[in-house]
Amino acid sequence: MFPRKLHRTITAAAAVTALATLAACAAPGESTGGTADATGPIKIANVNAQSGQLSPLGKWENKGVKLAIDAANKAGGINGRQIQLDLFDNQGDPTVGTNLARKIASEGYIAMLGTSESAVTLAMAPILKDAKIPNITSGQSPKLAALKSPFLFLNAPTSVTYDETLAKYLVDTKGYKKIALITNNGTYGAGERDAFLASLKTRGITPLGDEVVTPDQKDFSASLTTIRQQEPEVLFIGAEEVESGLIAKQARELGLKAVFAGGAPMGTEPYLTTAGQENAEGSVVSSPYLSNDTDDASRTFAAAYQTAFGEEAEVHGAKAYDGARILVEALKQTGGEGGQKLADAIRATKLDGLLGDFAYDESGVGIHATQIGLVTSGKLVPQTAS
Amino acid sequence: MQVFLQTLIGGISFGAVYALVAMGFSIVYRTMGLVNFAHGSVVMIGAYAASTFYMASRLPFPVAIVVAIVVTGLIGLIIERVLRPLEGRDFDLMLIGTIGFGTVLEALAILIWGATGHAVPSPVTAAPLDVLGIKIRTYSLLVIAVATVATVLLALFLQRTKKGAAMQAVAMDPQAATAVGIHVGRSNAMAFAIGAGLAALAGGLVGPMLYVSPVMGGSLGIKGFAAAIFGGFGSIPGAIVGGMAFGILDSVAAGAFQGYSELIVFLVFAVAVMIRPTGIFGERTVNRA
Repeated sequence: MFPRKLHRTITAAAAVTALATLAACAAPGESTGGTADATGPIKIANVNAQSGQLSPLGKWENKGVKLAIDAANKAGGINGRQIQLDLFDNQGDPTVGTNLARKIASEGYIAMLGTSESAVTLAMAPILKDAKIPNITSGQSPKLAALKSPFLFLNAPTSVTYDETLAKYLVDTKGYKKIALITNNGTYGAGERDAFLASLKTRGITPLGDEVVTPDQKDFSASLTTIRQQEPEVLFIGAEEVESGLIAKQARELGLKAVFAGGAPMGTEPYLTTAGQENAEGSVVSSPYLSNDTDDASRTFAAAYQTAFGEEAEVHGAKAYDGARILVEALKQTGGEGGQKLADAIRATKLDGLLGDFAYDESGVGIHATQIGLVTSGKLVPQTAS
Repeated sequence: MQVFLQTLIGGISFGAVYALVAMGFSIVYRTMGLVNFAHGSVVMIGAYAASTFYMASRLPFPVAIVVAIVVTGLIGLIIERVLRPLEGRDFDLMLIGTIGFGTVLEALAILIWGATGHAVPSPVTAAPLDVLGIKIRTYSLLVIAVATVATVLLALFLQRTKKGAAMQAVAMDPQAATAVGIHVGRSNAMAFAIGAGLAALAGGLVGPMLYVSPVMGGSLGIKGFAAAIFGGFGSIPGAIVGGMAFGILDSVAAGAFQGYSELIVFLVFAVAVMIRPTGIFGERTVNRA
C-alpha cells in the first residue's frame, strides 16, 4: 500500500512543481521589455536570499544597500532623478538566480547589487554580461574573479586575500607550524580550502589534517577526534557562520585545544553565540571590516545603521553599503546611464570605503587587503600584523 | 578505536533526536496512514517556542519545553481539524495540505522571530565526562534520558490505556472502530497532538545542540522521516532503532567519506529500503488510504 500511495504523492507533487515552473517562466515574458528612459527613476535591482538557509546574509546585505541608496536619494538622487531600489529573493538558489537575472534584464534594471552567495552570482553572471548589466556582488569566491567578466565587480576581497593575510599572520608572525583544516564542500568552504592550502604551500607547510564536511552536517565528532589526535596548534575553519560555530563548540567539548582561525564568518554574532563566548575566545579572524569602532567612517555607518534598523551593523551590511556607494558614485559619472558606460565608470571609481580603498582591477576585485582580529571577550580586537 | 567510539557517541546523541522526530512521524502514520510533511516545521516551531521561553521569559529549561509542547500540541490539533473534512475522502489533498502547513509555519516563524535565528546556551553547564579519553557531553546524556522516558511513556500509553487501545483500533480498522463507538476524528486529533508534542520535545532538546532558525526543520524533518522508514514506518520501537541507526550512520559516514557522507548515507538508506521495504520492525497494522 505504501508504494502506490507514494507514487500518487509524487505524481501530485510533480504536477504542482510543473505548474510553479510554468508560472515562473511566464512572468518575464509578460512584462514589456522596456529599457530605461532618461526621465523616470533609475531602476536598481537588489538580489539576495530573503528566505531559506542563507537568508540572514541576504537580510544584512539588503540593509546595507538600502542605507546607501536612501542616503543618495535624500541627497537629491542622480541629476535630480531618484533611484528605485527593488528587492528580489533568490532563496540562495542558483536556478532561481538565473530566472531573476533574465527578469531584471527584461524589466529595464540598469544595475544589480548582490548576491551574497558566490554560487548564485556565478550562475547569474553570464546572463548579466550578455545584457550588459553591471553587477556588484558580495560573493568572495576566487571563481568570481576568474570569470574576468567586464560587468562583474566584488565589494570585498576574494578568499585568496583573506587566507593569505591569515596564513601570513599565523605562520610568519606567530610561528605556528602545526596546522589542521576543517572546511565544508559548499562554494564558500571549498574556496576557503583551496586558498588557505595554497597560502600554506607557498610557506612550505603541509597541514597535519585536512577534513572536509558537508554544509548541512550537525555532528563533527569523527573529523574533530581525528584532528585532536594530530595535535595541531591551529585549526582553520572554512564554513559559514553557524557551521563554524558548531565546529568550534564541538571541538572544545571534545577537548581540542588548538587556536581557531578563519575568515569573515568567524567575526559575526551567529558564530560567537553558536560557539559560546568561552569557546570562541581567541579565534583569529581575517576580515576587511573588524568592528563598528575602528574609525570615524565606521562609527558613522554603525550609528546610521542602528537608527535605520534598530540593530548592530556587521561585516555583510558594511560590504553591501560600500558596494552600493560605489554604484551611486559611478551613476553620478554617467548621469544615470547604464550599460558599458556604467561598467567603465564603476571600474574607474576610487572610493575610500568602510572596507578600505577601492581600486578595481581587470578581474573586478577592488579590495586587496584584510586585517587580522582576535576574538577577545566576545568582540573582535584588531591586531597589528607585524 | 578512539575515533570510532567518539564518533559512535556523537552519532547516538543526534540519533536520540532523530528518534524523537521519527516517533512523531510514526504516531500520526500508524493512526491515520498519513505522512505529516509539516512535522519538520513543527519541530522548528517547538525549538523556537522552547528557546524563546527559556531565554526571553527566563523560564527553567524543562518548564520552557513543557510550554513548547503545549503550544505545538495546539498547532497539531489545528492542522488535524483543518484536514478532517478530507479524512477518508481525498488522501492526496491531505498530504499536500500538510506540505502547505509546513510552508505556512516556516513563513510564520520568519514573521515572528525574523530570518536570522539564534543560538541557545546549553542549560547543562557541567564539563563533558571523560571516559578513557572519550568525551561524553553531559547535555547529550540528558537528551538520551529524556528520549528514553518519552518512549516508555508513549509505549505505556498505547498499550495500557483505553485511549491508546482505541488509537490502535482506529489504526487497524477505522470502520470497525467506529462501529464499536470509537470517535475516529478525536483519535486522529490525539495522534496529531502527540506527534506535535514529540516534535516540540525534539526541537526543544536540539536547540542548544544546534542553532535555532526558520529552516532548521528541513534537514531534521527529512532525516527523522528517513529514520522512521528505516525502522519500520508506524512502529514505535522501529522509530527508536531507526533514529539511532540513522544518527550513527550519519556520523560514521562523515568520518569515513568526508564531503560525500550525505550521498553515502542516503545510498545505504535506499539499499536498505530496497532489501527490506517494511523497515526493521515492519508492521502490517496500518492499512489505510
